Amino acid sequence: MPSPERIDNQRLARRAARELASGEVALLGPGMPMLVPGVVPSGPGVTFLSDSGIVGVGHQAPQTTEAQGTSPGPGGSLLSTVELAALARAGYSTAAVLQPAQVSADGGFCHWTSEATPGLLPPGPAVEMAANAGRIVFMLPHTTTDGQPNIVPQCTLPIDGTVTRGVIVTDIGVLIIEQAGLTLTEVAPGWRSDDVISLTGASVSVATGLKEMEFSLDDMRPVNKVFSSGLEAVRDMPDGSTVMIDGFAGPGGMPHYLMVALRDHGARGLTMISNTAGIARIIGFGTPPGYQAIDHSILIENGQIRKAVASYPVSPSPARPSAFELAWQRGEVEIEVVPQGTLAERLRAGGAGVAAFYTPTGAGTLLTEGKETRMIDGREYVLETALHADYCLIRGYKADTMGNVVYKGTSRNFNAVMAPAAQITVIEVDEIVGPGELDPEAIVTPGVYVDRVVQRPSDFSPYE
Amino acid sequence: MPDLEDKPRLDREIIAMRVAKELPNGGYVNLGIGIPTLVSAYLAPGQVVFYHSESGVLNCGPLAEEGEEDINLINAGGQFLQPVPGMSYFGSADAFAMIRGGHVDVTVLGAHQVSARGDLANWMLPQRGVGNVGGAMDLAAGADDVIVAMEHTDRQDHPKIVEECTLPLTGKGCVSLIVTDLAVVRCTPDGLVLEEVAPGWTAEEVQELTAARLMISPDLQEYQL
Repeated sequence: MPSPERIDNQRLARRAARELASGEVALLGPGMPMLVPGVVPSGPGVTFLSDSGIVGVGHQAPQTTEAQGTSPGPGGSLLSTVELAALARAGYSTAAVLQPAQVSADGGFCHWTSEATPGLLPPGPAVEMAANAGRIVFMLPHTTTDGQPNIVPQCTLPIDGTVTRGVIVTDIGVLIIEQAGLTLTEVAPGWRSDDVISLTGASVSVATGLKEMEFSLDDMRPVNKVFSSGLEAVRDMPDGSTVMIDGFAGPGGMPHYLMVALRDHGARGLTMISNTAGIARIIGFGTPPGYQAIDHSILIENGQIRKAVASYPVSPSPARPSAFELAWQRGEVEIEVVPQGTLAERLRAGGAGVAAFYTPTGAGTLLTEGKETRMIDGREYVLETALHADYCLIRGYKADTMGNVVYKGTSRNFNAVMAPAAQITVIEVDEIVGPGELDPEAIVTPGVYVDRVVQRPSDFSPYE
Repeated sequence: MPDLEDKPRLDREIIAMRVAKELPNGGYVNLGIGIPTLVSAYLAPGQVVFYHSESGVLNCGPLAEEGEEDINLINAGGQFLQPVPGMSYFGSADAFAMIRGGHVDVTVLGAHQVSARGDLANWMLPQRGVGNVGGAMDLAAGADDVIVAMEHTDRQDHPKIVEECTLPLTGKGCVSLIVTDLAVVRCTPDGLVLEEVAPGWTAEEVQELTAARLMISPDLQEYQL
C-alpha cells in the first residue's frame, strides 16, 4: 500500500510555530528552525533569537540574504554573542527550536550539524543555550532519505544534549517527550498512528486524544507593549515590591512621569534600587525658580519606600538634607550603600543570569565588611551578588511598540543596565514609533527586556 | 605652631595647576568633584587629555554656556556639558567597566585623609552616619594612577596626611601622588616622599603639619608650575 503524502517543510514550520505562544522568546538553531519566523503572522507575535546574534520578530525576521548574511526584520535588533548568551543564561528565552539528526526515546539528541560534519563543527550556540530555554521543539524528517527512523531507541550518533521535556514535530506526526517516554499526539493528514509507529524506531505510546496535525496560526496575536498611561503600567505593583528606578543626578534619564504614576498608585513598603535616592529636589538642577524637581523624593515624602539600595543616597550637603535622609534620621527607612560601579555590575549580573562576581572595588572598606573575599593573582577581590527586582521604571528617548529602545546622550546611564534585571520592565519615552522605524544597529535595549512602554505626555513637566 | 597657621598657603587654582602637569598627554582622565574639577582649566598648550565621566560620556567638553544646557549631556557632578566632536556615550555598566578594567589612566580625587601607605578616605564623615560613595571606590580600585588634590590640613588645621586613616576608607594603598597647598608628596612602597614644597615653606614646616613621617627626596625642590 503506498504511503500517504508527507507534509512539506512550510507546513512543518507552521506546526512547529504553533508550539510558540504570542510574546514568547524562542532560540532558533540553524536549518529547518530558520523557516519558523517566515510563517509567523506579521504584526509579530514571537521574538526569535538566532545564533548570529539577531533578535528578530515574527514574519520576515531573521532574513537570510543571498550573500549568506542575515538581517533583522522590522522591530529586530542586533546583539553580540556575549549579549545573546547573557540573555539565554538569564532565562529570557522560553523555548528553543532545533533540528536534530536523531532523537532517542529518553530525549537524547544529535544535532544535524554534528552528523553532517562529525567531529568538525560544534553544534552552535543555540544548541548549547537550549539547556536554559524553557522547552525544546524539535523539527526533523521522520526518517532518513533511505527510510531509516530518525526517532530511535538509542542514538547511534554522538549526543549533543538531552531534554526531559519537549515536542518532536516531523513530516508525519507530533510526539511529546516526557520522562515516561514518547507519546504520539498527532498524525499528518491521511496518516494512521500504526503507519507512523512503523516508521519510528523507539517505542511510542499513542495519546488517547490522537488528532490530525493542524497548521493554522490564526490564534497568534501581535505584540503591542504600549500602555495607555503611566498609572496603567504600574497599577498591578503590589505593596512590598522591589523596584529599580533610574536616576543619575540631573533631570535627564529619570522616569519622572512613571514616578508620579507610582506615587498616584500608592504601593507601599517598597525596596528601591537606584543610583541616588533623590537629590534633584534638593539640588534643583536646572529647576525654574518657584518649582521643585520631581525625583525619588516624592515617593519617600509619600511614605512608600521602606529601603533604598543606592550609591549616592543623601544630599551632597548635610546642611540641606534630602527627603530620604530625613526619613532615615527618623528611622523610617533602611539604607544599603553600594559603590556605583558595583551597583551597575550587580544589576548587569542580575539581568545576565550571573549569580555573583568578584570585584576589587571596596576591598578593605566599611561597605564590604563581612563579605566573602578572595585573593586572585595577589589582589583582594570581594564577592558581590546580583540584584533583581519585581519592577523596573526607566526612561528612554524612543521606543517602538515591540519595546526596542534608544537613549539620548548621558541619559542612558543606569536605564540600559536595569532593563534586563527586573521581572516587569516599564519604560517611559518621549516618542513611540512602529516596528522598523528604529535602526536595528542603534537599538541599545532590545525589546526582549522591555514589558511595558509608556509615552511621556508632551505637556508633562518634570517640575511641580 | 601658631606661626605656621598664619603663614600663606597656595590657593586651590595653584593646586589644580600643579596637578595638570601630571596628566599624561593623550591619556584618559577622570576628575572628581571639588579641586579636581578645576584641573581641566590648566592644561599646557598642546596638552591633550580625554576626560571620562561616570555619567556615561568619554571625551567630555567644557561646561555648557548659560542657555545652552542640554539635560541629556551632563558630567558626574550633574553639570551641563558642551558637545564636542569625538564624544561617545555609554551606560553606567560600561562607564565602570572602563574604570575597573584599567582603561582610565589617571583619576584626580579630593580626600579627607591619606595614610602613609596610600590609603584613601574621602567618602564619609562618621558623624553624619551615612555617606555618598558614588564612584569613588571604583575609581580608587580601578584607575592606574590616583592623584589626590586637597588642602594639606582640615579647617581646624588637623593634618590630612596621617599615619593611619581614622575615617572610613575608600580604598587601600591606592594613592600614588598627593598634591596639596603646601607640598607634593609621592606614595611609595617605602612610605611618603616629600618631593616639592610651596614657596616660602621648608620641609620641616611641612612635616610639622603632617601626621605621618615624610622622607625628604634628595631632589627636593620648590613647587613646580
